[in-house]
Amino acid sequence: MASKRGSEGTGEARPSKRRRGDDNDDYLEVQEEEYNSEPEANTSLVPRGATINFSALTRKLAEARRTTTVVDGEESSLDAHRRQQDALVSHIFMDQDFSWLLLKADHPSRPLWISPDDGHIILEAFSPIAEQAQDFLVAISEPVSRPAFIHEYKLTSYSLYAAVSVGLQTEDIIEVLNRLSKVPVPDTIINFIRERTLSYGKVKLVLKHNKYFVESSHPETLQLLLKDKVIREARVVTQQTDNSIKAATFTTTKAPVKGNLVIPGTKEAEKKKDDTVTTRAGTSAPGGAADADLFTSIVGVDNDEIDEDDDNVHAFEIDDAKIDDVKKRCNELEYPMLEEYDFRNDTVNANLDIDLKPSTVIRPYQETSLSKMFGNGRARSGIIVLPCGAGKTLVGITAACTIKKSCLVLCTSSVSVMQWKQQFMQWSNVTDRQIAVFTADQKEKFAGESGIIVSTYSMVANTHNRSHDSKKMMEFLCSREWGFILLDEVHVVPAAMFRRVVTTIKAHSKLGLTATLVREDDKIADLNYMIGPKLYEANWMDLAAKGHIANVQCAEVWCPMTPEFYKEYLREQSRKRMLLYCMNPKKFQACQFLIKFHEARGDKVIVFSDNVYALEAYAKKLGKPYIHGGTGQVERMRVLQWFQHDSNVNTIFLSKVGDTSIDLPEATCLIQISSHFGSRRQEAQRLGRILRAKRRNDEGFNAFFYSLVSKDTQEMFYSTKRQQFLIDQGYAFKVITHLDGLEDLEGLVYKTKDEQIELISSVLLANESEADLGTDIRGNEGDLAGTVTSKDFGPTRFPGAQRTTGSLTALSGAQHMSYVEQNKSANKKLARDAAPRNKLFSRRDKDKATARKEQRAMGRT
Amino acid sequence: MRAIKGVLLTCDSAVKQILLTMNEKDPFVIEDLDDYHLVIKADEEYRVRRELEAELEKNTYSLEAN
Repeated sequence: MASKRGSEGTGEARPSKRRRGDDNDDYLEVQEEEYNSEPEANTSLVPRGATINFSALTRKLAEARRTTTVVDGEESSLDAHRRQQDALVSHIFMDQDFSWLLLKADHPSRPLWISPDDGHIILEAFSPIAEQAQDFLVAISEPVSRPAFIHEYKLTSYSLYAAVSVGLQTEDIIEVLNRLSKVPVPDTIINFIRERTLSYGKVKLVLKHNKYFVESSHPETLQLLLKDKVIREARVVTQQTDNSIKAATFTTTKAPVKGNLVIPGTKEAEKKKDDTVTTRAGTSAPGGAADADLFTSIVGVDNDEIDEDDDNVHAFEIDDAKIDDVKKRCNELEYPMLEEYDFRNDTVNANLDIDLKPSTVIRPYQETSLSKMFGNGRARSGIIVLPCGAGKTLVGITAACTIKKSCLVLCTSSVSVMQWKQQFMQWSNVTDRQIAVFTADQKEKFAGESGIIVSTYSMVANTHNRSHDSKKMMEFLCSREWGFILLDEVHVVPAAMFRRVVTTIKAHSKLGLTATLVREDDKIADLNYMIGPKLYEANWMDLAAKGHIANVQCAEVWCPMTPEFYKEYLREQSRKRMLLYCMNPKKFQACQFLIKFHEARGDKVIVFSDNVYALEAYAKKLGKPYIHGGTGQVERMRVLQWFQHDSNVNTIFLSKVGDTSIDLPEATCLIQISSHFGSRRQEAQRLGRILRAKRRNDEGFNAFFYSLVSKDTQEMFYSTKRQQFLIDQGYAFKVITHLDGLEDLEGLVYKTKDEQIELISSVLLANESEADLGTDIRGNEGDLAGTVTSKDFGPTRFPGAQRTTGSLTALSGAQHMSYVEQNKSANKKLARDAAPRNKLFSRRDKDKATARKEQRAMGRT
Repeated sequence: MRAIKGVLLTCDSAVKQILLTMNEKDPFVIEDLDDYHLVIKADEEYRVRRELEAELEKNTYSLEAN
């Protein structure tokens, strides 16, 4: 009981600091009154044997208190009924019953609920001030789940660090939270916020002359850090002549850059505005104008928490190789290091003269995300999360154009290297000689002092057997200081590889870009100290509503297994099970039906299958062209072109190759027949294929995303798991158990039992290896394993020898046997159908050829 | 002839297949009537129901399992 009393006491001690919000006064009075009436003996509402923990106790107390106050006034039957209901509900929720939290008098107009236990914040997204509240919550917490009406956010240490680094003040955070919350902000949360935000920003990690220094204007903080073993060991001790005690420990320098950046609040703001205008020409409406009335005072503060009155900055050098450990350790010690780059005052590194093209217009949310990065006129390291197809690349390019220093772009595969380069050329005025590519095939350097290099993670992180050229290239990369390093698809990079990149390349600021900050192994937290906090996460639903990405209807189609298939499925224990549920005849039918339905509507359909065996079987059976890793480049281009331009080819089948590297803005409908187990990322990436649909701005346009699932199999499990990420983004999956009109479809495949049994026998004959996923893709040298598929790619496998019995005459074809290809791939048909050139041209071609020949003959003589 | 007390089970075809595989391990089916009906021993009913439940649960994803 003592602890309970104590906590009540602190609760009452609060009013003094709560008085700031005058609207709180009345409820506080009520609380005081109630407190005066002594809690009576416990009512029987809560069983005595209930779990005794803090919240349960507080709840009991509140319960008792409520009864006493009610007894004082007259009690209507409605009240009694309510009380009974409450009691019932409390039982259900056990520890999570927070009904003892007192609601403020005007709670209906406030949109937030805050859970005192774990820092979860629930937002009523239908509230009129939800939009402003959202802006604020995104700044201080991490979104957990954002469906249409109720959003969930979570306060974490990292999110609070991020909030402070954007310039929010501890007291302001608490104040605004309190203003928005239906219940007074619980003490636990207030303490949590205080604790996390207090130490932040005291320590800085800076890169000077290619060496890392830990810098702080508080020598005692540095002393404290040096007491830690990990950090002490990482320190590089330099000889120096000691003349004071302080200097013995740290290198002390005059605080730099002050002269230029006098008062951050005014001059810098001006400068920043200049900056915005020049770099983002064409965009209007500065982000966050809407919430000005409520939050300017807080969000807009350009307070520079580092530049304190202390003129001296103390620093010690640390070893490059241990930089990562130190960062991690500092986070653990709750002195997270601030990584900011004051690029405008960097005179050591040469400027890179690039800018966005005047015609380039960036979208409001892109601007918001960038404003988080350059919030105080410096470049902050961190991660920006935007959905696929929402223009991550442009965000990266704009950031590079703002910093205007040498820039290194790292991506996952050599295909995206070329895409990045091309995008840079498209959106900015960078010249051909300023941008270079470093892959297994191409090793270029930029001309001049500064420039952009695009490469892959594995090229940079690779430690063993390099060619002479790459070695030289790496020396070049390591020898210089980079102003900016852009990390594409950060979520896929393995931590070890990342560490190597970060330690070998010296960069002032880092920006990570990703669409899906989820991993099946929980390594996401590592990114927090390796790159920085999450700076911005876009709301998918919001972007869809504003027409930046397409509206998508998601559906999961349940296909019952036929008894024969299910029997085999149950018997089979190996990987072949997967083949059985992919090849389920009912799934074939559903697929056929959906393709037909959407083709009739005028949609362009992509069918995805991870399993190559199933892919070929489906495509051949349904007579549609397909592309997988084994498809030749020429054939691939031809098929894609047909799909894009020919109104007769409305459906293509793609294997994993289509997950990322193929861009098809024509596609408006997506059907998934087999997928990579429970990978949430793949699901999101595939959805991304239709998010950038060209027709998205048409009135009432919807894109469709179907997932075909065989009922009663493991697929059901994986499918639900895969959807979690999209569900958290606010997508709702409809479940379709029966496709209306499926039975009456003309030319329905595998309609009879005989056909189904034939199919199953062919499936059973298939090699076990056919069941593997993504066997068709082999990464290029320098591609990151796990980006295209998470299999390890060996050299091409040859099928083992097969033995069959038969007479020699039969095998040699002497028994009047002839072979006909029954089930031809539609690709071949397309190839043949390609219109031959008109005779007129062929003659001209011939003439040209002879002319050329003559010329050559002339030249030789 | 000795009479055995039986229970008529009505199920969908997939569940029937699961039951048949369970039957191979530990026989309880008296008569396999058609795609949707089985007669099983009455005293095995409870055990069969429980095992079936467990089998079906394997394919369900729940957030708590994480």
